[in-house]
Amino acid sequence: MKFQSEPNTSAGEFFELLENSGYRWPAKLEGTANQNGFTVPQGTTVLAFHFKDGVLVAGDRRATAGNSIMYELCDKVIPIDNFTLMAIAGVPATAFEMARVLSHNFEYYRRSQLQSMSTEGKIRALSKLLKENVGMAVQGLGVVSPIFATYDPDLKKARIHFYDMLGADFQIRTHTATGSGSQIIRGILEHEDLWGEKPLAERTREQAMTLAIRLLQTAALFDSATGQARPEDDIYPTLATLTEEGYRFLDDDETAKIFKTSTARG
Amino acid sequence: MFEEPYRWMEAVSTRHNYVQEKLKMGQPVMAVPYNEGLLIFGFAPQPGKIFEVYDRIALGGVGHPADVERLRMNLLDMAHLEGFNRSAQDVNSARLLQFGIAPALKQNFEEIQRAPYIIRMLLVELDKEGIPNFFRMNYDGHWETFKNGTAIAGDEKVMDWLQKEIQKQPFATYSLDQALQQACKLWDESRKLESDDEAKKDIPETLQEAFDQWYLEGAVLTEKSMRKAIYRPLSKDEIERLKSSVV
Repeated sequence: MKFQSEPNTSAGEFFELLENSGYRWPAKLEGTANQNGFTVPQGTTVLAFHFKDGVLVAGDRRATAGNSIMYELCDKVIPIDNFTLMAIAGVPATAFEMARVLSHNFEYYRRSQLQSMSTEGKIRALSKLLKENVGMAVQGLGVVSPIFATYDPDLKKARIHFYDMLGADFQIRTHTATGSGSQIIRGILEHEDLWGEKPLAERTREQAMTLAIRLLQTAALFDSATGQARPEDDIYPTLATLTEEGYRFLDDDETAKIFKTSTARG
Repeated sequence: MFEEPYRWMEAVSTRHNYVQEKLKMGQPVMAVPYNEGLLIFGFAPQPGKIFEVYDRIALGGVGHPADVERLRMNLLDMAHLEGFNRSAQDVNSARLLQFGIAPALKQNFEEIQRAPYIIRMLLVELDKEGIPNFFRMNYDGHWETFKNGTAIAGDEKVMDWLQKEIQKQPFATYSLDQALQQACKLWDESRKLESDDEAKKDIPETLQEAFDQWYLEGAVLTEKSMRKAIYRPLSKDEIERLKSSVV
């Protein structure tokens, strides 16, 4: 812990503070060839969609390395600040590091500038990190494909943003999914939104949770890198909502209850 | 000029007088436990006395606003770098004070060619076990720890009186509303002790005037929060409830 005679005087920029302390974002590795025609190694399924009260963000818990299942308790939905969630697909080391940088960035800004960062500012911050990471991404070492959900206090509405590898962000009006299992459920999400019982944005919290659990179970049936729930081991998908009250994760008991009713056969 | 020890001691003594004189008008900031965490609270003619430092740490300051701001930024920088490089669990008030702010303040105060910080500071923390910790730090780097709450004020007489009175009350058993009411009453009583007539002239004569003309700043650190960052400023409703119960 070091007292600096001149504190950081930038406008609440945590990344600048980090760099001044000697931290460097990993650059491209010299002498390593770029992968040609690489694909994003993202063994996972995370999704987000608008429902009646806000946004639901969900993800499975499995982490893989090639064909091996490495871990079944991975948290892929990460709180960044009280009103922001990030769901990650891609290389965990880079994704978790990005989440940590972002979390400190938003909180440092809020505390130092005595106001929250604007929603646009938060969205840009993740773009900047992804851009910084392009070198690692093109080498296939650090590709991250995140979903970013944040509550906009000005619009009084939760927003979902999806990013490409270079940092371009796209606002999502209804639903999105990323990871290796995402292709399996994107069609279902679209179908549910257009021709389901009611549009996703009109569904209640319980209905939204039920759909998310069923989607993740479906993805796990077809994608080996997406983990199925294992109720006997108390392993369930991560489910979180984002509303004007901020984020809220479902605790294990509540998830177990909803999981049981959601997966019961008719 | 300062080659003789006596001259240096005299200069330090003069600095004490200078800083104490400058601090005299500083309005009290109190921090007390309550049954769900801790409360930090104060009235002032200008806002800018109470701040969030990190997930479980808050700051109260009395003194020159620019000095409060500079130390606040230093605390923020230290806390956030530590939290990022290690873990949020490694950031605590004792380390921030003992290894960060206090030695630097002492050095600054004793280097008599540099301008001293005009500040008294309160650092409060609700630790991982939910136990409130209270720290008070002087402009010369001297700091103290308290278990049952503490206060800072520009006038030392007021500060010492508040410290004694806080210890007499079972704040830890109070609800937030009760703790606010009692803290507010203590603040009201402490106004009468102000030794400086010039300062007394500018202080509101009644609590009603204090609510109407000054800013009430307050925040809680509470285990009831479901968030990682447990700092929460008092809501308008809580302040209104307090006003109607004490005025």
